This record gives sequence, C-alpha cells and structure tokens, in this order.
Amino acid sequence: MNKGRLSHPVLLAAALAAGSGSVEASPRGDRAFGEYLSAECVTCHQVTGRATGGIPPIVAWPEDQFIAVMQSYKAKDRDNNVMQTMAGRLSEDEIAALAAYFGSLPIQPLGN
Amino acid sequence: MMIDRRRLLAGSSAFTAAMCLGAPALLGQAKQRVVVIGGGAGGATAAKYIARDSAGALDVVLVEPASEFMTCFHSNLYLGGFRDLKSITHSYDKLTSAYGVRHNRQAATQIDRDKKEVVLADGSRLPYDRVVVSPGIDLKYDSIPGWSQEHEESMPHAWKAGKQTEILKARLAAVPDGGTIVMIAPPNPYRCPPGPYERVSMMAHVLKTAGKTKCKIMVIDPKESFSKQGLFQAGWEKYYPGMVEWLGPKIHDGLKSVDPRTNTVETGFETYKNAALVNVIPAQWAGRIARDAGLANGSGYCAIDPETMRSSVDANIYVIGDACIAGDMPKSAFAANSQAKVAALNLRAELTGARAFPARYANTCWSLIAPDDTVKVGGSYGAKDGKIAAITTFVSQTGETEAMRKEQQAENMGWYAGITSDMFG
Repeated sequence: MNKGRLSHPVLLAAALAAGSGSVEASPRGDRAFGEYLSAECVTCHQVTGRATGGIPPIVAWPEDQFIAVMQSYKAKDRDNNVMQTMAGRLSEDEIAALAAYFGSLPIQPLGN
Repeated sequence: MMIDRRRLLAGSSAFTAAMCLGAPALLGQAKQRVVVIGGGAGGATAAKYIARDSAGALDVVLVEPASEFMTCFHSNLYLGGFRDLKSITHSYDKLTSAYGVRHNRQAATQIDRDKKEVVLADGSRLPYDRVVVSPGIDLKYDSIPGWSQEHEESMPHAWKAGKQTEILKARLAAVPDGGTIVMIAPPNPYRCPPGPYERVSMMAHVLKTAGKTKCKIMVIDPKESFSKQGLFQAGWEKYYPGMVEWLGPKIHDGLKSVDPRTNTVETGFETYKNAALVNVIPAQWAGRIARDAGLANGSGYCAIDPETMRSSVDANIYVIGDACIAGDMPKSAFAANSQAKVAALNLRAELTGARAFPARYANTCWSLIAPDDTVKVGGSYGAKDGKIAAITTFVSQTGETEAMRKEQQAENMGWYAGITSDMFG
C-alpha cells in the first residue's frame, strides 16, 4: 500500500469513514457480552418478548431507544428503584452491549 | 474491529478447548457429565442454562424426585387468595424437550466426592465431572422445644411449598372469629427474610375479608428486628388495626416450649393456650446432602468462591441458592436464579472453553401487604473481599403513594412470570 497516499488527510478521512461504516454494519455493542449481562435482566423481563403484569417486554427494540431508556434510569430521570439500581451499575459499553443483544432477539409468538 | 477480533479470539480459544476437551467425544466416549441436584430456583435455572448454552456438548442430568415444582415464592399469595395452586406449579417438561436436560426422578442421597459420583435413592450412582448442588434448606426439627417433624401437621411450618402450604391455608380458613394465631418466626439466616411477615399480612387479609376482625395474630420472633419491618408494621396498622402483634425477644423473653396436643405456646412473658392455629417456622440450615458431603461449615451453610459459586472445599462442586453462604445476598429465589447463572457460566468456561465474565448478581424481593399494596427490597451485588457484597441496595419507603404500591404489585406478578419462564420456559 502506498504510505504517502494513505496519509493524505482527505483519503485518510474517507478510509476512517469507510472503516466506521463497516463497524456500524455490525451491532455497536458486543452481543456475546450483552448476552452475559442479560442474565440479570431476564429474571424479570421475558426473553421471548412476552409481558406479564408490570414488567414490560424489552426485546427487539431499536438500539438507540434501548440506550436512551437505560441512560434515563442511570441518570434517575426515570423512576423505579430496581431499574435505577440495575442501570446505575452499567457502563456505556455495557448498555450498548445489552441494546445489541436484546435488539437482536425476535419476539416469539405464543406456543413456541 | 475490536469486536471482530475479540469474537475471533473467543472463537479460536473455544475451538482449541473443544479440540482438547472434546477429544474423548470424538473417539466415541461419553461427554463430560454435569449433575444438578435439586430442581428449585437454583437447580432448574442451572440445568437449563448449562444445557442450553453448551448446545449438546455436555451431558446434563437434573436429579429431582418431583415431576413438577411448586414454588415457595408466591405461596403466600396462594394463602391470601391471590393465586391458585396451579398457577404456582410448574413442569420440568421443557427442560428435557427443548434443552436436552435429562431429568432423573429420584432423590440424591449422597455425594461421593472421592469417586465423583452422586448416589441416588435406589442405590445407583451417577458419575460426574462437575456437580451443581442446589438442595435448598432443611428445617431444624429440634430447634423448637416440644415440636418435631411428627407435629408438622398439627402445627404446620409451610416453609417448603406443597402439602404443608395447603394445610396452612385450610387451618387458616377454620380459625374462628376471636381466635388467636401464633406464628413462631425463625432466627437468621433463613429462606426468604420478608416471608414470615408477608405471611402475617396475608393471614390478616384473609381474616379481615371473612369478617373475623376480632382475631389476633401474635408473632413470637427470636430476632430484634426483621426485613422491611417499618413497612410491614405501618401496613398492619393501616389495614389490620389491632389484629397483629409482633413481639421481639426483649418483650416475649424467649420461647420456652410449644405443646402440639393443646396448641399451647409458652414464652417467658406469657402462655398462649388453645391457639386456633400455631405456625412454627423453625431454624434452618443447608439441605442434608450438602452437609453430609462436608460442604457446609460450622454455620450449617456452604462457603463458596464469590467469583464463581464454586464450593470452597471442592473444586468440582458448585453450591448455589439457599444452601450457600451468599454474603450480603438474602436466601431468595431471585438470588438462587442469579447465582445459578454465575455457576453455569463458570462451569461451561471450565468444561467447554466458553467465555467467562466477572460475576454479577442481583436480587429483588416483593412483598404483598394488602391488595394492591406491595413493597420491595433489592440490590446489585458482586465479589469483593472474598464474599458476595452489596454494591447498591434499595428498599421501599413508608408513605409511598397508593399508585406506586399498586404498580409494585403489578411488577411482583410480572417478576413471577419472568423468573418461572427463565427457570422452566
């Protein structure tokens, strides 16, 4: 590869943009890490996406929405001491990993 | 790029491990064997997670004599008339059909740690590479003077769900107006810290609903204080005025004895004769199989490594749930379910080379005080200074709005559906 060409600011920017684009194509968070973290969530939130009583479904959400909701709990802008406790312990990377994992799950129809 | 590299590394290490560990399987020999003892919140979760996430690489046997499991959690709601028995009873069918767990319907009687075998009631033996021990608690039948196992029908404990739960409910229904109920509460540590006090609430609710408001529930407690005490006592005052009296050891001056023939309870302060119902919740310790295997210490419970849930005395054994010493975590179904996942992850990492991550634990316990009035306590936990330590905790406050308490009851019901689906679904 031509070292001189790559160091050109415009081309470098283009290469970085292309690189970040390819990362964007896969989930922003680490899904396997998210699956491990999700163990804490699925005691209440059903992994099938079904919901009972006062525990909402959290699968198949857009990742941005998931992240925004968790950040609101972390900042205590949203009420609920269970969720504030859970979110309060999570780093930004961990929230992103959870968003990637739950976002990738399908809502399973009844009977499965 | 980091993600891809990490995945690649994880994948290659798993592949290498599979090449080494899986060699016998390639030669037609048996898979590595995991035996899970006990099909409750800890054992059912562990069996499911190990079998599901190892995708056939491990042979997972759940040793549990029952064909279905009645949950101790929410059995107070059955007592209070908020649930029927069917709704707290769950089948193991999906663990076998969907995840490949083999359900051996016998009681495990012994763990032969030298031979790495679990001995079953019929004398047969199950060899293991790793065993997950989740037997729950045993009751100390000799901890209440005058009471023993032969009296558990006349003075029920109902601290293990099943026939006892039904006996207690029938006996409660038969209490006449003006009758006295005596509950003997257990000393620490015991299964479900808020459980006795939620039960008192449910008893009072049933009596009140039946118009039997002249009844009295006396709680004889060996503890100076108890879980969510302020919340329960405020609730009893609000909903069941004059019906509940809690007596700590400084007031009752010690439980002297009970007499199951005459339904008498004698304390240093007073003797309660001809009680309409005596609910004896005795002291507890780890299930016998764990103690007999030498896994428990002088406390009667089993020490574990907080990073992995591995037994402190045997590296081939994990102890989870009520039988273990879980530091700051209470003995609850939520805690057992949480510990089971940490054990499952570490066990798979050991045997199949799966990725291991740092231990994280969580717990929440909801308690129903009256219809639509539920309080909760919980926290997030991790390994610290050799034990499972609380990182953040929370508890409901007195004076919360009715709407909030009602929402918390909806959460309670949602949690039950969630955890039972996580265990059995």
